[in-house]
Amino acid sequence: MIQALVDGILLGGVYGVISTGLSLVFGVLGVVNFAHAEFLMLGMYVAWFAWRYLGLDPLLGSALSFVIVFAIGYLVQRTLVQRVLKAPPAAQVFLTVGLMIVIENAALMAFGSDYRSVSVPYQVEGYRLGDIFVGAPYLFAFVAAVVLAGALWLFLERSWSGRAIRAVAQDPMAATLVGVDTRRTYALAFGLGVALTAFGGAVILPYITVSPTVGGQFVVLMFTVVVLGGLGSVAGALAGGIMVGIVQSLSALVFPIQLQNLCLFVIFIAVLALRPQGLIKGA
Amino acid sequence: MRNLFSPSRAALLLFFLAAALLPLALDPRGHLIRVAAMVLLFAAMAQSWNIVGGLANQISLGHAAFFGLGAYTSTLLFLKLGVTPWIGMGVGAVVAGGAAALLSIPTFRLKGHYFALATLAFAEVMRVIANSLGDVTGGPVGLSIPFMGSQPALFAFRSVASYYWIILGLLVAVCAVFHLLASGAIGYRLRAVRENEAAAEVAGVDTFRVKLTASVISAALTAVCGTVFAQFTFFFDPDSIFSLSGISVRMAMIAIVGGLGTLGGPLVGALFLIPLEEVANAVLSSQAAGLSQFAFGVILIGAILIQPRGLMAYWLRTPWAKTRRAAATGA
Repeated sequence: MIQALVDGILLGGVYGVISTGLSLVFGVLGVVNFAHAEFLMLGMYVAWFAWRYLGLDPLLGSALSFVIVFAIGYLVQRTLVQRVLKAPPAAQVFLTVGLMIVIENAALMAFGSDYRSVSVPYQVEGYRLGDIFVGAPYLFAFVAAVVLAGALWLFLERSWSGRAIRAVAQDPMAATLVGVDTRRTYALAFGLGVALTAFGGAVILPYITVSPTVGGQFVVLMFTVVVLGGLGSVAGALAGGIMVGIVQSLSALVFPIQLQNLCLFVIFIAVLALRPQGLIKGA
Repeated sequence: MRNLFSPSRAALLLFFLAAALLPLALDPRGHLIRVAAMVLLFAAMAQSWNIVGGLANQISLGHAAFFGLGAYTSTLLFLKLGVTPWIGMGVGAVVAGGAAALLSIPTFRLKGHYFALATLAFAEVMRVIANSLGDVTGGPVGLSIPFMGSQPALFAFRSVASYYWIILGLLVAVCAVFHLLASGAIGYRLRAVRENEAAAEVAGVDTFRVKLTASVISAALTAVCGTVFAQFTFFFDPDSIFSLSGISVRMAMIAIVGGLGTLGGPLVGALFLIPLEEVANAVLSSQAAGLSQFAFGVILIGAILIQPRGLMAYWLRTPWAKTRRAAATGA
């Protein structure tokens, strides 16, 4: 039971960072990005190639994932997403769904359908604390996620760009009036959002294999986390991530493995129905 | 306001006339008639989706759930109990309608992105259940319908043309339902809900009931399409029948590319997209896996950016279509 709780928290911290990006994009741009999980997949591939050809540990390769996917996201926002920002939700939904299909199949063409995994020295190691066993890859991924979440908080709180992002999220018109370039800020927020998710993808590479369809496993999970925490709330997404991680590992004790995701879906629909503004207020 | 021989009506009649005459020109067991049947079937699916997605502007990304429920209900009733799929089709429609009613309870307040997310999750739930209940649904392996030659009572035919006629009949029926809903009182209420839900409520529209009716009818029709699809293709599995991009998104995309909320939209959309995909598949699938799907996504993005109101917008802009019911087609 406590073991499951610990596992859940370790998993959930990473889910939190993965989903923070999605939440950031919605909070600033007001667009639900259905293609978001595909950027996770891209981040995983970047880290895989960095490991294979540069010998970089995925924990270090994650920095590369962050930078490369940030650039891709910046461009995608500038060329595509920007055009539907004022369009009705239907156009936004289908633009990002189209993007999802395009990215997934581009990856299929470029990388083939093989499952790829890395091997790192700490893959099967772990630490024992009394009765509780902590797997090293899970622990490292969690620590990396927490560090990045802290860096994100500092960036949003302290830097000029971070303040600009928050200002645009609150009131784009007022932000423009005080001299914020909203278009640039939108692109920055979108790039940052997908880069955070890509980073999360890279740090879980030691325990999850990557394939072009890996995004599909994370779509509903990410949305559940974000909806739990409140769409648009960055701190909420972190808390939501840990909740989802705990639910997942606790439900693994009760249900067979195939039905694990079912729990998530049911929670997801229930939260949407009862509290679409999220369980956690403010933030 | 409604002219009996308006150009739009003439075009619609012409479409169905051409569709009815087409089998005479094609080899009844050939590949082309199969493609033509798929065009009509997807048009019928998109039209069913259009009732919720177009008239009420509730963007569903989970209609595959109802499609799959239709396919599974009729096929399981036939395989396990020997019930003819003709009856199974009706049962499937009732099951899907019931599921839609249940889903309406948690989702009827949701709009835009939230509604899309909830319906997407619902279809995923169906897919997970179908995959994990192996002893009932056959699990990930899927279900196949044994080939029995030509047995009209059991919805089995040797010639593709027979399926073609059935699908054409289905499409006519779905279009008729759509037209009745769109031009009847419920259509006005749905459009009122679409434009401004609070105002509609104040004006005395029971918004919950209107949306519920639309989604139940839409789901039931989608389930009928699912049964026909299962009989037509003889085989399906959970991942293909509950597929997000293969079914849910495609249904919506055909309606959107054609023209959201219009009667002709799904017909134009299917006529444009399905053959295009067929050609793309034939030409590109030998090149690289994923290329035709890639093209599908590019078309979707292009359609949204170039003409978000669909191909029908071009028709409505022509001088002979201008005179008529701009009001009836709404947005």
